[in-house]
Amino acid sequence: MEAAKMASPKSAPKDAQVMAQILKDMGITEYEPRVINQMLEFAYRYVTTILEDAKIYSSHAKKSSVDADDVRLAIQCRTDQSFTSPPPRDFLLDIARQKNQTPLPLIKPYSGPRLPPDRYCLTAPNYRLKALQKKVSSTAGRITVPRLSVGAVSSRPSTPTLGTPSAQAVSVSAKVGAPVSLAGQRFTVQIPSSQPAGKSAAPTTPTVQNVLINPSLIGPKNILITTNMVSQGTASDPNPLKRKHEDEDDYDTL
Amino acid sequence: DRQTLVAVLQFLRRSNLRESEEILRREARLLGDDLGAAALSPASAGLLVGSGSDADSGEALLGRGTGAAAVTIGGSVATVATSSPGVAAVAAVPPGKGGACGYCGVGTPGRGGARVPGFPRGAGTRGSVSGAVVVEDQPDVSAVLSAYNQQGDPALYEEYYSGLKHFIECSLDCHRAELSQLFYPLFVHMYLELVYNQHESEAKSFFERFHGDQECYYQDDLRVLSSLTKKEHMKGNETMLDFRTSKFVLRISRDSYQLLKRHLQEKQNNQIWNIVQEHLYIDIFDGMPRSKQQIDAMVGSLAGEAKREANKAKVFFGLLKEPEFDVPLDDEDEEGENEEGKPKKKKPKKDNVGSKSKKQDPNAPPQNRIPLPELKDSDKLDKVMNMKEAARRVRLGPECLPSICFYTFLNAYQGLTAVDITDDSSMIVGGFADSTVRVWSVTPKKLRSVKTAADLSLIDKESDDVLERIMDEKTASELKILYGHSGPVYGTSFSPDRNYLLSCSEDGTVRLWSLQTFTCLVGYKGHNYPVWDTQFSPYGYYFVSGGHDRVARLWATDHYQPLRIFAGHLADVTCTRFHPNSNYIATGSADRTIRLWDVLNGNCVRIFTGHKGPIHSLAFSPNGRFLATGATDGRVLLWDIGHGLMVGELKGHTDTVYALRFSRDGEILASGSMDNTVRLWDAVKAFEDLETDDFTTATGHINLPENSQDLLLGTYMTKSTPVVHLHFTRRNLLLAAGAYSSQ
Repeated sequence: MEAAKMASPKSAPKDAQVMAQILKDMGITEYEPRVINQMLEFAYRYVTTILEDAKIYSSHAKKSSVDADDVRLAIQCRTDQSFTSPPPRDFLLDIARQKNQTPLPLIKPYSGPRLPPDRYCLTAPNYRLKALQKKVSSTAGRITVPRLSVGAVSSRPSTPTLGTPSAQAVSVSAKVGAPVSLAGQRFTVQIPSSQPAGKSAAPTTPTVQNVLINPSLIGPKNILITTNMVSQGTASDPNPLKRKHEDEDDYDTL
Repeated sequence: DRQTLVAVLQFLRRSNLRESEEILRREARLLGDDLGAAALSPASAGLLVGSGSDADSGEALLGRGTGAAAVTIGGSVATVATSSPGVAAVAAVPPGKGGACGYCGVGTPGRGGARVPGFPRGAGTRGSVSGAVVVEDQPDVSAVLSAYNQQGDPALYEEYYSGLKHFIECSLDCHRAELSQLFYPLFVHMYLELVYNQHESEAKSFFERFHGDQECYYQDDLRVLSSLTKKEHMKGNETMLDFRTSKFVLRISRDSYQLLKRHLQEKQNNQIWNIVQEHLYIDIFDGMPRSKQQIDAMVGSLAGEAKREANKAKVFFGLLKEPEFDVPLDDEDEEGENEEGKPKKKKPKKDNVGSKSKKQDPNAPPQNRIPLPELKDSDKLDKVMNMKEAARRVRLGPECLPSICFYTFLNAYQGLTAVDITDDSSMIVGGFADSTVRVWSVTPKKLRSVKTAADLSLIDKESDDVLERIMDEKTASELKILYGHSGPVYGTSFSPDRNYLLSCSEDGTVRLWSLQTFTCLVGYKGHNYPVWDTQFSPYGYYFVSGGHDRVARLWATDHYQPLRIFAGHLADVTCTRFHPNSNYIATGSADRTIRLWDVLNGNCVRIFTGHKGPIHSLAFSPNGRFLATGATDGRVLLWDIGHGLMVGELKGHTDTVYALRFSRDGEILASGSMDNTVRLWDAVKAFEDLETDDFTTATGHINLPENSQDLLLGTYMTKSTPVVHLHFTRRNLLLAAGAYSSQ
């Protein structure tokens, strides 16, 4: 981007003059000079995206050229994607009415810090410690990690069982990491893709990554695991990546 | 013209006033077809008589083509007016020669055919007129036809609007102010209708012609409106859609309303009447029409004013009883507390701190109306400290102004977006546009975090200073930075027990941080759009947040979903505050209203209109009776919660008021603004001698005294630092905070 000096109106390119006029019409009188550049960039990018989408739609409809309908469709699809607007008022009133009917919950006295169930908190550690002793597996290159049971999604503070290295059944919670994957945390969880049988022979590349580990390994806090990983299936296990989909019905993002 | 004539004849026939009818018809034939295409309203303007069945009032409704005729009509009306004492209108019409009403050949009732009201005026021939005969036999048909026709006849919109404009401008002074309230909603609705039906050019010319006539405080809305030129633009704009579907409330006195109704119904241009019926809610009250000044104080919001029923629910604005303490206090302290704790109000029974008053304040909510957390030992100690400090509190007043200590945030690069200070003034937190939350210690005592679990198991739990020992000295620092949000932090709030900190941000989440470990504990996801403000309840445990999705939500720290959703605002909720008794929540919004919500059942119990810009600050008085609000228009408005009325207006600031705070005993109201000043106002004087008699409550008439200058106790300017937060310490020292901006 050019230096942040505002070009005098006389020598600014036409686009910039138009943008400045638009800002003025909308009542914005004070702005940094780079705002015009940013707005121009946004306008260019938006129009390009729409036109590219329109080209795709038009070619899908086997038309010879892009026409207004294609553009309209492209705009509509993009609007639903990027420029969402808040829910309409009747919808809000409806859910408000539903929510406000339930009485306020009673407060249990003397219950320590009042926090939601652990799975909804951010208090779990977001790192794992690599186990000290090397697992003596026959196949090299595989990281096998003790099986950690996910168990129910309730917040029972049970210590997960540390299975033997050979235990392979893996359960991956369907909505892995959702309660904890807020923007600030950075751990990557790759849900093993569903490649059941084919993998049994391939020893390489474990599809496993950082997970939350039961902190009973680490410290006094006991927090339940929400995700899990997998070790590459051994030959003995035809379906190494068995997934156990939990019923996670109490997610409500509204 | 024809329409009015026809209407007049109809009316006359209906009221069986044969004589007047004859006169009318005679006059009509006199003038011949002297039709112009000019608006008929100049003459019809304001000539409606307030009372019902006066024969001469029929004559008053004369639409004339030419200006000269207007004078004559005026003359006739004048005579009418003088002759019938029951007539309540039309002094504005100039006197002239009487009796000569000119019409263009309308009017023998015998002429057949249903008139098409939407008939364009341009075709002014007698033939067409003759076709336009009284439709009294088929009023419904004509109404239906007119609606249908005029829906598709955008060219007439300008005519209708200017017609109405003329009518209102020529009406009696006392009615004109009230009827002028119609301009804005009608303008917007007509414009939106034109846009919605895709008559772009007509919409544009309509806008060009009339947008300058609107009141100055609607200019921002009009600017937004001017950018809506196509139907597609309307779809994404929730606020405009809400405006279209909700009813704009107008409060008009019965007399003015009759005037208006008669005019619109008789003019047979049902389009405006349709709009009025469909989109406007006219709250009629009996009594004197309001003056322009009174009206100007109350209008300005996106939905008009508040219906009187909206403000009728009972609100428990009293404070909850403070619990009795087993902790022994010295007598001196107790007396001090009782005296200091008493609010400064005139009503002697409002003694709501502690031991003296045994009876329940009728205005206070029952203790268990909403569940509140129990008082822990640490809370009790805190309260004892509070009372001791209260005893040493400086009594403020016009002679004794508080000292102001200003905390300036340097090098914030205009990124400071939220500030909060704990109740005991020991910590200050700043939320920044770079998505960090920074906590500083105001006192010399540094901020420490708790030791790790391993170390904690080593300390002696029985020792007296265990609370000190759990703190890790190695982590002592003046500043702690909390990372976690992914967008600018727009609101921060300390919990009353200083264990938790809340922050809300543009990323749609509200985060709870622990001030013992300085880590994030929970992220509350519910708003999917920027959250503009959040606040802990005065008793802890509950907190409220409000955001771009136009709702405010009540949460409890141990529920990951909101407990209550307060929906009703037409635009973003920009400011949320708890009432001191934690039973009510006030929300200020960009639709320029303030709503008071009941926590128990989520109902909106009060709607306060009057600001002309989005609301950015709210403050409850310590005794819970009053609410002070500040907005981008620079005014601070004072509201009586119990009666639901505006009781004061403090003018002085020239820019947005971002901070408002009452002193600890409610004697002084401090306001901080973007114009780099802090102003102190005399709250005692503002709230005494309130006119809250039945008439005021019933009609909503307010008479605000122009006493802003008397109430202003002091203006304190900073060099170039907008004031973002104000806080009275327990001893009534005023702390202020803001970020230095170098331009």
